[in-house]
Amino acid sequence: MAEQTRKRSTGLGLAKGLSVTLKTMLQPAVTQQYPRVKPDLPPRTRGVIALKEANCTVCYKCSRECPDWCIYIDAHKETHDPAGGGRARSAKVLDRFAIDYALCMYCGICVEVCPFDALFWSPEFEYGEYDIDLMTHEKERLEEWTYTVLPPPALEDGAVPTEEQAS
Amino acid sequence: MDTREAAFESSQVASMIRGGGLDVEVMPSGEFSTEEMILNIGPQHPSTHGVLRVVLELDGEVITKAEPVIGYMHRAAEKLAEYRDARQVLVLMNRHDWISAFNNELGWTIAVERLAGIEVPDRAQWIRTMFAEWNRILSHLMFSGSYPLELGAMTPIFYAFREREMIQDLMESATGARMHHSYCRVGGLKDDLPRGFLKRSAEVLAETRKRIGEFETLIMGNEIIYARTRDVGLLPAETAIAFGTSGPVLHASGVAMDPRKDEPYEKYAEVEFDVPVGTKGDCYDRLWVLIERMKESCNIIEQCMDRLPPGEFRAPKLPKTLKMDGEVYVRTENPLGLMGYYVVGDGKKQPYRLKMRTASFSNVSVIPAMLPGTLVPDLIAILGSIFFVVGDVDR
Repeated sequence: MAEQTRKRSTGLGLAKGLSVTLKTMLQPAVTQQYPRVKPDLPPRTRGVIALKEANCTVCYKCSRECPDWCIYIDAHKETHDPAGGGRARSAKVLDRFAIDYALCMYCGICVEVCPFDALFWSPEFEYGEYDIDLMTHEKERLEEWTYTVLPPPALEDGAVPTEEQAS
Repeated sequence: MDTREAAFESSQVASMIRGGGLDVEVMPSGEFSTEEMILNIGPQHPSTHGVLRVVLELDGEVITKAEPVIGYMHRAAEKLAEYRDARQVLVLMNRHDWISAFNNELGWTIAVERLAGIEVPDRAQWIRTMFAEWNRILSHLMFSGSYPLELGAMTPIFYAFREREMIQDLMESATGARMHHSYCRVGGLKDDLPRGFLKRSAEVLAETRKRIGEFETLIMGNEIIYARTRDVGLLPAETAIAFGTSGPVLHASGVAMDPRKDEPYEKYAEVEFDVPVGTKGDCYDRLWVLIERMKESCNIIEQCMDRLPPGEFRAPKLPKTLKMDGEVYVRTENPLGLMGYYVVGDGKKQPYRLKMRTASFSNVSVIPAMLPGTLVPDLIAILGSIFFVVGDVDR
């Protein structure tokens, strides 16, 4: 185990510390010039949740599993007769799907529980607003986020993908 | 109004100023006696990392009594947990100590897995161990960077944050977040590592090792830091144990109590590492322990990367509904010290009762024992060296 250095001679420690400062001064700066240079975010980044409305079957799983209940879903039932005849089928139609990002904790449980791949994470993060009401994104806005979704990364060597990932 | 009434009234006023926490003794007004001064530090003082309030009783420049007033950040995490599925609670557990999020969620998932009787695959355990250590470095960098800042040295925090940035980017590539990782899942992990993670991890590790050495040269040899912290805020081992401190604070006092060694969880039994202990238990030792612990964490990460076996990242057969029955107490070593989750289940998916034993809470409790007799200028040095997060104190 390392031992603490006990010997102290005046000025030496300061000089050593300053040598680090000098070395760093001669290195290029690490600062990212953010608004001009956008960060290169990995595909898994939990920035904003995108909704692919066509895939949603209104099963309410996401809104039920959300730890702080920030997903609002309204739907109605429609019955229609199948083309080939037979009894009338009923299907749920999505009226409203909204996520309140002022409330969202960005845990990703909704994306994980979605059984039909309707929800995705997108690394976009620049959607701050001056009005808290605008933080509630309706389904049209959530649909727009799908265009920024990145494909999931390949897995590290030795990883055994789940059935869902393999397909 | 006679003198006794007046004394009573003034003591009431004093009590109000103090927040009502202290028993006020009215000093008999002798000829040469001076009045003691009550000074409120906080709740917004930057040195308190949030909203801790310390009420000081000063005799000149010497502190005669100190009492931390806590609770300004109480968010009822324990109660909220009783109304949520154990898998949802993970999100809450991320947030009580926000700079060691992964270690918190690790402790919670271990508790749930033990209650529900779920086996975790080897690969997941190795990855968890590795991430717990990455997060430990993150937390220690934060504190060893902000501690000199409290003493008046501006520079070190920039160095610490440069390193933190690198590690946060690395963790983000696997977990998806820089702070609240939410990477653990009951029965394993959210996902396996992305391709190229281990390569990048090795690069970051080499760089971190180099820079921790550099950082040590920058601050540990500094005469001013040495003068400000050596023999300041002495905490004898007996007091440290009596108040239930843990983590760097306890290790600095010379007690090597570490759940990673004593009752290993995950893969800590299979990795080799030391628990650095200080000799004196002063502020300098506490800072030194942080730096040494970072080096040990680097060693653990290296072993985890070398020994990472192929396999599944999540247990293949997980119950749809968790059934937690009985009670369990899980102790894990958080960056700030001993973290305990006491969970009682009554056969449902929600915990019947959760009690968290957080490191910061116990560490803060030692403040009244440490501060009396010290000078006000040393207060910041001592408070900063206790290493706590107020969210972790108040939950």
